[in-house]
Formats: sequence, C-alpha cells, structure tokens
Amino acid sequence: MMKGAHQWGATNHQPQLNNKMKKRNVLLSLLVILALPGLASAQYKLMIKGSDTLGAKLVPQLAEAYKEAGNDVSFEITAEGSSTCFTNLLAGTSELGMSSRGHKDKEADKFTAAGKELVQHVAAWDMIAVIVNEACPVDDLSLEQIEGIFTGDITDWSEVGGPAGEISAYTRNTSSGTYKTFQELAMNKRDYGSNTQKMAGNEQIAQEVGTNPNGIGYVGLAYTKAEGIKCLSVDGNEVDPAKVADYPVSRQLYYYSVGQPEGEAGKFLAWATSAAAAGKVVERVGFIPLKK
Amino acid sequence: MDSGKQRRFAKRGKGFLGLTRADAIRYFFGGNASLAIFILLLICVFLFKEAAGFLPGHHAGLTKWRRSGQEFVDILNVAVDGHTRLGSALNIGYFAELNATSKAEQQQLFSYRAVLQRVKGTVRGPAGRLKKLLKEFTEAGEKLAEAEQDLAGADLDPARQASLRAALPGYRAVIAEVEPRIAMLEERIAEGVAEALAGDEVWEGQNLVADDREAVAEAICDQFEAAEQKHPWVAGLEDFVREKKAERTPQLAGFKEAVTAFRNAIRPVKDLISPLREAASELKQQAIAAESAPKRKAALLAGAEATNDLAERARKLAAAEAVVVAAPPYDEVAEGFYAETAAFEAVVADLRKEIDAAVEALPATGELADPSARENLERFRNSLADYRESLDRAVARAKDWRHDEPYPQVKSFLVFLIGKEWITNSSWHDFYGLMPLFTGSLLISMIALVVSVPFALGAAIYVNQMASRREQNLIKPAIEFIQAIPSVVLGFFGIMVLGTLLRDVSQVSWLAWVPGFPLQERLNILNAGLLLAFMAVPTIFTLCEDALNNVPQAYASGALALGATRMQTILRIIVPTALSGIIAAVLLGFGRIIGETMVVLLVAGGKIQIPDFSKGIGVVGEAAHTMTGIIAQETGEVDRGSLHWRALFMVGLVLFSISLAVNWGAQIILRRFQRHGT
Repeated sequence: MMKGAHQWGATNHQPQLNNKMKKRNVLLSLLVILALPGLASAQYKLMIKGSDTLGAKLVPQLAEAYKEAGNDVSFEITAEGSSTCFTNLLAGTSELGMSSRGHKDKEADKFTAAGKELVQHVAAWDMIAVIVNEACPVDDLSLEQIEGIFTGDITDWSEVGGPAGEISAYTRNTSSGTYKTFQELAMNKRDYGSNTQKMAGNEQIAQEVGTNPNGIGYVGLAYTKAEGIKCLSVDGNEVDPAKVADYPVSRQLYYYSVGQPEGEAGKFLAWATSAAAAGKVVERVGFIPLKK
Repeated sequence: MDSGKQRRFAKRGKGFLGLTRADAIRYFFGGNASLAIFILLLICVFLFKEAAGFLPGHHAGLTKWRRSGQEFVDILNVAVDGHTRLGSALNIGYFAELNATSKAEQQQLFSYRAVLQRVKGTVRGPAGRLKKLLKEFTEAGEKLAEAEQDLAGADLDPARQASLRAALPGYRAVIAEVEPRIAMLEERIAEGVAEALAGDEVWEGQNLVADDREAVAEAICDQFEAAEQKHPWVAGLEDFVREKKAERTPQLAGFKEAVTAFRNAIRPVKDLISPLREAASELKQQAIAAESAPKRKAALLAGAEATNDLAERARKLAAAEAVVVAAPPYDEVAEGFYAETAAFEAVVADLRKEIDAAVEALPATGELADPSARENLERFRNSLADYRESLDRAVARAKDWRHDEPYPQVKSFLVFLIGKEWITNSSWHDFYGLMPLFTGSLLISMIALVVSVPFALGAAIYVNQMASRREQNLIKPAIEFIQAIPSVVLGFFGIMVLGTLLRDVSQVSWLAWVPGFPLQERLNILNAGLLLAFMAVPTIFTLCEDALNNVPQAYASGALALGATRMQTILRIIVPTALSGIIAAVLLGFGRIIGETMVVLLVAGGKIQIPDFSKGIGVVGEAAHTMTGIIAQETGEVDRGSLHWRALFMVGLVLFSISLAVNWGAQIILRRFQRHGT
C-alpha cells in the first residue's frame, strides 16, 4: 500500500519534485486511506447488551432482519448474562439492554440514584422445556417431581415411574437467568441439590442429556430440537407455544432502556416488539412472540 | 570485552541524562526484573485486599443467619432432610420390587429405545430430507385433489376454471417428480438402518441375548417403515410390563402402605417448620433492607439532587422520606422460635412412633425377590439408627439455640475452610464452604499426577540416558510441543472425544469389574484427570530431564568402571542422585495442574459436592467441581465487592497459597539435596 501511494504521489506531480514534497504526498495519501473506513462507518451504531438467552440468537437475527428491511443501522450486540444488561445501561455503554428476568429493586435503585429512569419492555415469551433422553420412558412429570429431582430429594428414575437408574440432573450455572428463573418457576425457590451438575449453556445441557439415558435437564425452547432428547410435559401440559400461559415453566423476556427510547433505538424497539416480520424471527429462533 | 572496545562503546553512548549506553542497557534490564517483582507484589496486595473483606463479611452473614432464626430452621430441617433420604431409599426399594417380575422386559424396552435413538442418529440426514419431500408430496396431492373437486363441482366462472386447469399439470409434475425421490430416500434409509443394525456400534452397552437383539432389530426396521403405529412386539412388551405391574401391586400393598406411612410421617414436622421458615426468611430480608436503607435513602436524595424536574424531585424526596432505617425485630421473632421448641419435641416424638410402626410393617429383607430392593431396604435399615440419633441431636440443639449468642469468629472461618456446602445465588442463605471444591481439585490433580509421573519420568530417563541423538531430537521437541496446545482445545477434545470414548469403553461388559465402571457421566473426574496428566507431562519431563542432566558424569563413569551394567548405573546411581530434582519436578507439575482452569471447567462436570469416597476407586467416575473452575464460572456474574465476590477471591488466595507452598517446597528440596549432588 505504501508503495502504491508513493507512485500515485509521484505520477501526479512534476518529476523534479524534491524529496520533502514526495514525503508529504505519501503522508497525505496515507491519511486519505486511513480516513476512508471512518467515513464509510458514519451510519448509526446501536449498542445492545445483556442476557445470552436473547443475545445469542434472537437479537442478532432481529438485527439482520431489521437491516434487510432497509434501515441503515449497524449493531453491536454483546451477550454476557442478564446482570450486564443493567450495569451497561447505567454506565451508558449500551442503549438497549436484554434481560431474561425482571429487574431487581437494587438494580432500579442504582438508576434512581443516578437520576435516570429504567424502563422495561416485554420482548417475547420463553418456555423452559424440561428435557430427558429419548430412551427415557417417562413422558410426564408433575411440578412437585421436578422440584424433587432438581433439589436432590428424588435421586432415582424408578421413583418417578422410569426404570431403575440414578438420575443425572443438569442445570445451568449460577450466572444464567434461566438458573434463577427455573428455581422460581419449578422449584418453589428451593436451592438446587448438590448432586446437580452446572453446565455452561443450553447447548451443553442438550448435548449431555442427549447422550446420557439417565439424564434430565432444562433448556430454552430454541434448543429442544437437539439430537437425542425429548421434552416432558409438566402436570399434563405439553410444551406448546400456543398454550404458553398454561405451561407452568414459562416466563417473559425483556428489553430495557433508560427512559423511553428515542431515535434509532426507539425505532428498532418499536419494530422488534410489534412488526409482523419481527414476530416471525422470534418464532424461528424458538421464542413465542407477544399476542397483538 | 577488551578495554579499547569498552572505551569506544562508552564514548559513543554519552548523551542521555549523562548515562553511557552500557549503563542505560544495564538499568533497562534491571528495571525489567524489578518491574516483574513489583507486579507480583501488586497482585499479592490486590488479592489480599479483595479477600480481606471476606472474613468479617462472612461472619456478619452467619450472624444474620443466626439472629434471623434461619439457623434454627436449618437445625429443625435436619429431621426432614434425613427423612427424605430414607424415604427415597424405601421408595426406590419398593419400585425395584414392583418391577422385579418384568425387569427383563423393561430392560428390552429400554434397549429398544436406546438403540432406536442411535439408529435414528445414523440416518438423520436422509430422514430430514424425506420429511421435507413428504410434506411437498402431501401438499401437492391435497391441492390437486382440491382443484379436481372444484372442477368437478357445479358451475365455476370460466376464468377460475381456466386457472385451475392450468395449475393441474404443475401439481402432477411435482408429484411425479417427488415420488421416485421419496422411494429412493426410503430405500436409502432402510439400507442405512439395516447397515447400522448389522454393525456393533449401536448395540454398545446393551446386554441383549441374540434372540432379543434380533427382535429389537426387527422392531426397529418396522418402526422406520410405519412410524405412526407401535410395533406389535413393542406394544406387547409394554402391555406385559403394565400387566405384571398391575398383578404385583396388590401383592405388595403392605409394602406400599408402610412406605407411604413412613413418608407421610414427616408431614407434621414440615407443617411446623414451614411458617418458621417464612418468618425467618422475612426477618432476614428486613435485616438486609435495614442494612442497605441508609444507602438507599442517600441514593434517592442524590437522585433528587440530580434531576431538574420539580415533580420528579418531590416524588424522590417523598420516597426517601419513606425509607425506614430501623433495626429489625430480632428479639420479638426469636420469642416465637423459642416457643416452638416444645412443639418440635412433641412432633418428633410422634414421628418416632410412626416410624417405628412403619418399620414394623415393612417386609423382611429376605422376603424380597429383587436384589436392588434388598440392597435399598438394607441401606434404609442401616441408616435408621443414625437418623434416630440425628433427631435427638436436632431436638437438643433446638433447645440450646439462642439467637443473640454471638457467632464465634473461629467457627465462621471454619465454615469457610471445612464447610461442605457451596451454595450461591440462593434465596435462603449463601454458604461458602471450600471443601467440595478443594477435594475436587485435589482428587483431579492426584489422578493427573499418578498418570503423568510414570510417563514423564520414563520418557525423561529414556531420552537422557538411552536414546540416540536422533531420537532425542525427535522426542524432546514433540513432548515439549504439548505445552503449546491451548487448554480450551484440550477441553473440547475432552468433551467430544475422550468423554464419549471413556463412557463407551466403560460400557463394554467384560470391563464391568473395573471400579466405577460403567460410567454414567461423560464429564467426570477421570476425564479431567487424564487431560491434566497430558498437560503436566511436558513440565515434569523437562524438569526431570534437567535433573538427570545435572548428575555429574563422574558418577556414571565410576559405576561403569566398577563393572555395573548400564541399567544398574541408571537405576541405582543416576536416578537416586537426581531424586531431589525429580521430586521437585513432580511438585512443580502438581503446581501446574492444580492451577489449570479451562480443562476442569469444561470437563469436570460442574457438580459442587464432595465426591463419594465410599465408592473406593470408583469415585473417579463422578462429576466434581474445582477451585479454579468456580472462580472462572462465577466471577463474571457477581457484583463487585459483594460477599460472593470476596469469597471467590478467598478461593483464589487458597490456590495462591497452595502454589506458593508447592514451589517453596520444591526449592527447598532442590537446595537441600543439591549439596550431595555436586
């Protein structure tokens, strides 16, 4: 590149140019080259941070669809857990936050203290599917049985109608919003048993359950199509998006903003929560769009 | 360096701050060295500073746990926990006995499902395509039928008729095109299924006799041909199992009743504890709220300052006014707890009676047909005495419990150091007990050492003493190259390859005698230990080789001159002389392993529980968690400065101390023995 710039400088001027002039030309042309990408990225950059439940697939795909719909915005999406949604919003390092749980009072306090207002927007419904290995003959568990299994009260499949065999219960790790949500929705807020195994993510749980005939775990709806697993019905309620309100282990997902979002962030949010195309993306990723 | 050169060097370099170039270089290098020491000190200070707040915070937390009555509830809850475990053993025993008469059939069904799943896995690609084609086919068929019906029906307007007619060939073409492809795919799937069933892979771990295997294979083949209905063989088995269970149920009615009576006996205790639990929980919430109230108030006031909106400011000021900064009513609530001790004693006495009655009604162990049922019942009977004792203790402790007794500082430290529970993000109380993590780390490291030391030492002796130069030039770099493999890559290898391989191998029937086999988990202590052993080999190998190299040549020459064979020289002279270096190498290898994070995080299985050592060597099949793993897993999520955060730093500090001690030990050993060496 250096060389090219040099030649360009040389051919556009008289051959008797002294060395100093040449040097300046080289510098100028370098500057132009460096400035070009800067000019090209003048489009608006929307920063969205928070939950990996939303940030792993849903929001990136929504962003793609949003851009395809003719909006000239670029996105920076970081998914590191619901807690980071609030810390980043507060620090001003993101415009929209994603969270798979509602905010805590403590978190809202911090915004109040900084003279800001935390605003919640419902993004979609999520169902937490309880999954077992395909080879497992059990098809339905009651909420009480699920509580027993994940708190360590029930340790053998024969206690819930399966063949004898020690249960391997796989859970998310403590940083995940799903960990806490499942505890609240399915375990009566009791602590996980010390015999449960904490996995890094949905995929890993699906993988372990899919290869262990005595495994049980829970994953987001998007991951229920993994190999070798099947979903259990809970208290007779199938994992069916149309009946999400009846299924005991379901929850809402949220976007957060500081104040009512305006400008590009507001436009994107309005589109993501109401447009039909966005609803299709939500469905494709495995969540359930809000009913209009 | 000769003096003329030195002078020239010095003359040229004079200029910057009056330093010669040589001086500048000297100070630069010296500066680098001291910077390293400075940064090390900085890390130590940072570690100690962040961890320092843990002990007081932990103590305060435990004090709150006591004062709010959570400790009292946990004391009472011992009765429930022990009872749940016993009831679980009974229940498992009952179901084992219930299933005893149809055990073989259930096993067949289980094998059928497991093998079916594996077979499905082998033909997933074509099956997916077939599904898509079938959908196209039915859609086209439906549209065609619809259009034909419309055309056959009464008077349509001509334009619509024409358009329908025009569409017909399209549908027919789709059908004609798709049909052979469907047939082809179906054939391919059938072939794939037959091939998979003929191979051994899908049958691994299923102990089926030849006849059963044939039946399963046939049922699976049929299942692929007609997916909607159950194969009669499967349906027959299922009916058989159901029938046998129904037949057995009345026979075991007495057993069932005793089990139910036993399990229901705990109800009154639970009913007693449940309101206490809520009261304690609420009190603790109040205590936490009261603690943060001044901060909350300050936050609201600061918020009011910051806003320009008058209404908003007024609202915030009012909210700040409403924050109560008052001590929670510890004494008042505690009175309620004290009042319940007598009631607890009474319900426990009732519980004893009911348990005794239930145990009377249980069938004798000898009467049971199923070995697993006998085993569980035996386990139940053996643990019963312990449970009765724990009830006594619980009653005594409940009577002695005082909410205002200060929590001993030493005890709060011990709760961390030898506590058996690491429970975080809890809605009851967070416990930070190091033991499960410590034992996990230690066990994995020990396995890694046991595996890696023979390999590394053997390789070092061979390379140093026996190998030809060409071999040396090949082996040394190859082993040292292992160090260059990123540990996350090894972790993935552990999940995807080694874990699956270990489990498959463990399910081979003639290996069942190996303790811990068959493995249920892919991610376990053994897997992590083996990977870490692999990672430790280069460290131990290199250091051992150095130690062997340091043995003076005269020793070997002397031994050989006195008529010792090559082997005798190596084993009797060289290795013993280098022993100090070898021990140091092993220690440093241990230091390397115990600090490794990524592999154990991915592969150890993430189970925060002290491994069950009653299984003997079989314990290596269990999942575990480690000190390094927990830091990596939980640091990202915790609030900076919270107790949990500090607890993680404490774990870091423990790790740091272990590494320090190990390195220090290695240095001492080296220094002590080197005197003999030279």
